[in-house]
Amino acid sequence: MAELTGAFFARENSFLHRIDVRFKMIFLVILSITTIQAGFAGLFILFVIIVAAVILAPISIKGLIREIKYFFIFLVFIFVARTLSTPGEKLFQIVFFSVTLVITKQGLISGPLVCFRLFLVVLLGYLFIWSTYPSQVRVAVAWFLRPVPLIPEKKVATMLSLLMRFLPLILQEAKETTDAQRARCIENRKNPVYRFIKLAVPMLRRIFLRADDLVLAMEARGYSENRTLPRLYSKTSDWLSLAFIVILSLMMTQI
Amino acid sequence: MQLTKYITKDKETVRRETKDSEQLRMTVHASLLAALIAAGAYIAVPIGPVPIVLQNMFILLAGLLLGSRWGLAAVGIYLLAGACGFPVFAGGTGGIGRFAGPTGGYLIGYLPAVFIVGLLSKYEKTTLDVVGMILATFVIYTIGVTWLQMITGIAFSKALAVGMYPFLVGDAFKIAAAAAIAKAIRPVMRKI
Repeated sequence: MAELTGAFFARENSFLHRIDVRFKMIFLVILSITTIQAGFAGLFILFVIIVAAVILAPISIKGLIREIKYFFIFLVFIFVARTLSTPGEKLFQIVFFSVTLVITKQGLISGPLVCFRLFLVVLLGYLFIWSTYPSQVRVAVAWFLRPVPLIPEKKVATMLSLLMRFLPLILQEAKETTDAQRARCIENRKNPVYRFIKLAVPMLRRIFLRADDLVLAMEARGYSENRTLPRLYSKTSDWLSLAFIVILSLMMTQI
Repeated sequence: MQLTKYITKDKETVRRETKDSEQLRMTVHASLLAALIAAGAYIAVPIGPVPIVLQNMFILLAGLLLGSRWGLAAVGIYLLAGACGFPVFAGGTGGIGRFAGPTGGYLIGYLPAVFIVGLLSKYEKTTLDVVGMILATFVIYTIGVTWLQMITGIAFSKALAVGMYPFLVGDAFKIAAAAAIAKAIRPVMRKI
């Protein structure tokens, strides 16, 4: 449970919190697409702006690093793979027992570029989560889905909030069942499939029964899909920041 | 006579209400499986050199327990939640950028995978379930590894070596477990 509640949403009143959720989601999409097109200079501008936002907000840098530290391992792997496997002008090679590793000039350039891109996208995602109420995201999703045919947007909104509500419940049940099985000496069994099934079946059974209780409770309280969601308001500052982001992304792709 | 009339009328209402309540039940169950898929990213079983993440086992289970239509809904909600920035993907946060990232192909591949499993799970036969799950795993890796290779630009054989081979043993284990779990959980879901 601890790993879930970490440093996600922060209840503060920074300038990031005050932007309308729908605008923030559009920013994320625009900037994610832009990073794929942009080169080093453009990415660096975006990086400077993100750092400025982190300092101005202010976001605790310790929490940020804790949140994305596993991502760095992934980045290192991509960096190595990309550097070693891009064909091109040979700079030098390492002979390691019988394996020859060729490092090329193109690989040394494109490896950091790809890593930089992924790093920025993850930072953007973190800024978004840090500054947005989960319930607001739900409303914004319903708003975006309204013009889409065949998708019942209110049902989707309900399912999203149910999903977030179920998550801690599942982790708690998993922990309780693990403890119960350990008390019954499950660790003496060596067969992993046996151990796993003896953990999963009671856990899932209990979770499904609780979900059925929830269905009854919702029905008893007259749940229906014809409900009103909270309204969202856009301000002048939202439109201004949208203009800023569009200009920024155009600039990033041109440089 | 009056009593029969009253009862037939009531049956009609009951039928409609049962349909509504069945819809609500499936909605809640689909959200629950979406939550299980998300929780699967956090529950890791330490077996062998690569820790087994239970995420794709719950994808398979969503198809097995909910059928193709609601299974697709569950995975769709899970992906939507991830795209909106909820912390449901393996390895913490991500948002919509995750789809463009190296592991995005696996996420996209979950959709056809759950559909295939759901189609074949209609008959509730263990052999068909297993065939469906093997097909689904194949689909996930086809899309996932192709995507990984395109995004990172590494050679295809290398992409296979990092994106598929280490997980195959775990997948066999997951398919076996999912078949057994589906058999045990189906009666609970059918109860009402």
